[in-house]
Amino acid sequence: METEKQQAIAFSQLSKVFQNGTAALDRLNLTIEEGEFITFLGPSGCGKSTALRMAAGLEEPSTGAVNVFGRSPKDTIENTNDIAFVFQEPNLLPWRKVLDNVILPLELRGISKKEAREEGLRVLDMVGLKKYAKVFPRELSGGMKMRVSIARALAAKPKLLLMDEPFAALDEMTRQRLQLELLEIWEKEKTTILFVTHNVFEAVYLSTTIAVMSAGPGRLSSVIQVDLPRPRQSISRTDELFSAYVKKASDQLEDSLDEREDVS
Amino acid sequence: MSMTPAEAAGNHVTAKAEKVKKTKPVRETFKQYILGPVIAFVLFIALWQAVPALLGMPHYILPKPTDVISAAVSDGALLWEAVQITVFESVIGFLLSAVIGIAVSILLASSKIIERSIYPYAIILQTLPVVAVAPIVVIWFGAGFNAIVVVSFLIGFFPVISNTLMGLNSVDREKDDLFSLYNASKWQKMWKLRLPSAMPFIMAGLKISCTLSIVGAIVGEYVAGVGGGEGGLGYAITVSAIQVNTAFIFACAIAGALLGITFYLLISLLSNKILGSWHESAMKK
Repeated sequence: METEKQQAIAFSQLSKVFQNGTAALDRLNLTIEEGEFITFLGPSGCGKSTALRMAAGLEEPSTGAVNVFGRSPKDTIENTNDIAFVFQEPNLLPWRKVLDNVILPLELRGISKKEAREEGLRVLDMVGLKKYAKVFPRELSGGMKMRVSIARALAAKPKLLLMDEPFAALDEMTRQRLQLELLEIWEKEKTTILFVTHNVFEAVYLSTTIAVMSAGPGRLSSVIQVDLPRPRQSISRTDELFSAYVKKASDQLEDSLDEREDVS
Repeated sequence: MSMTPAEAAGNHVTAKAEKVKKTKPVRETFKQYILGPVIAFVLFIALWQAVPALLGMPHYILPKPTDVISAAVSDGALLWEAVQITVFESVIGFLLSAVIGIAVSILLASSKIIERSIYPYAIILQTLPVVAVAPIVVIWFGAGFNAIVVVSFLIGFFPVISNTLMGLNSVDREKDDLFSLYNASKWQKMWKLRLPSAMPFIMAGLKISCTLSIVGAIVGEYVAGVGGGEGGLGYAITVSAIQVNTAFIFACAIAGALLGITFYLLISLLSNKILGSWHESAMKK
């Protein structure tokens, strides 16, 4: 048993060149500690989603490596339930009711029906949708579907939650509510979260650390530690300190865009 | 007479609105969806009745609707027997094409290599004119029931296989990723993801194949039908053609069409039952 804080993810010299020759990600070096809420912030094409997909073992690195809790992502997925992924779309199976969607990961791992249902109801309760367990996804709103998707990811307590612009398709009100709920879940479950977004406000509001990325090829341009008070629920989005961080992140994002223009 | 004109107008409007609201659904649906087809049908039958009479056509060239009905009634027992036989053959043929078609598709789709090698042929084979190979089937299976069922099966088989294969490969990438993330085995993906995703496609295939199976059975009866009360509609048609009993041929053809419609409606019902809870194509109706 480890006593000190473990490394959750280690990207080392991680690069990805797609088959069509596009350099999606160029030598990403970054380590993420357990319990962090880290956000990859950048414009489209900066390789943030690609990095996330490689951490989930959905994409193979061209060169370099990514390790999740000291193993390769493939190895982690084959042997543990440590990694969970939330997609940009809710990605629910329309032929399964809400609860059956949520327990899918458990079912695939061969956990008994009874145990799976208990865990399913626990995580549904966490996102406030317990009473919708027996409903088909098409009867839910976009925000509710995303909640179900998050509940599914939380089933069986993963140690790492990878989220690929999960709130991008939602309206502003719903997005803010879900951000709040996500923070509550993060504090309660002590999961490490790696979150991808192109929304500066979202990045500042949620993260302990922001990794600002630039495009063409995707590079890590700077890392910002966000020392805003916790829990974040208590601070206002119009707070001066909050705005200062938003400005800082925006400036660095702009710098990284300028850099690219200078190069090209 | 104490009502002001405005009030009167107001009352009038609400009364009218209520009236429209009440009568609209039934009356409008009737007008829009039922009245037209009914008129077209009546006109068609009237025209059909009138034309042979006006032109003085003999009933063996173009029988009038009344001739067809009387032929169907007078040879009712014969027709009923033929229908039963054809139904039996086509149901067996359809079930075979459904079960074998889906099973073969699953096997093909379970291996990328096999599928890539065989899928093009499955598509090309779909254009195979089964009518043309029916005599070969008769040579292999002998005249009678077996050959007829095989022809019916062959004709319904390819729509099932091509639709099912298409459906099994229609899974969107994110859902496939989701299953990969949870270390799903190949067969878990097949049963829990690919097959349910393919359901709308499979149902579309079954709808095509169920009506084709009747065509197949009738074609089979043309080439392999045997007499002695085991002939079915196809056999009855060939016999009537020799006897120039045109009215009875019409009766048989209409019976075949009705069978097809019934079969199609049954499969649609099944499809709505299976897909109704989630799939959009079934939801709209």
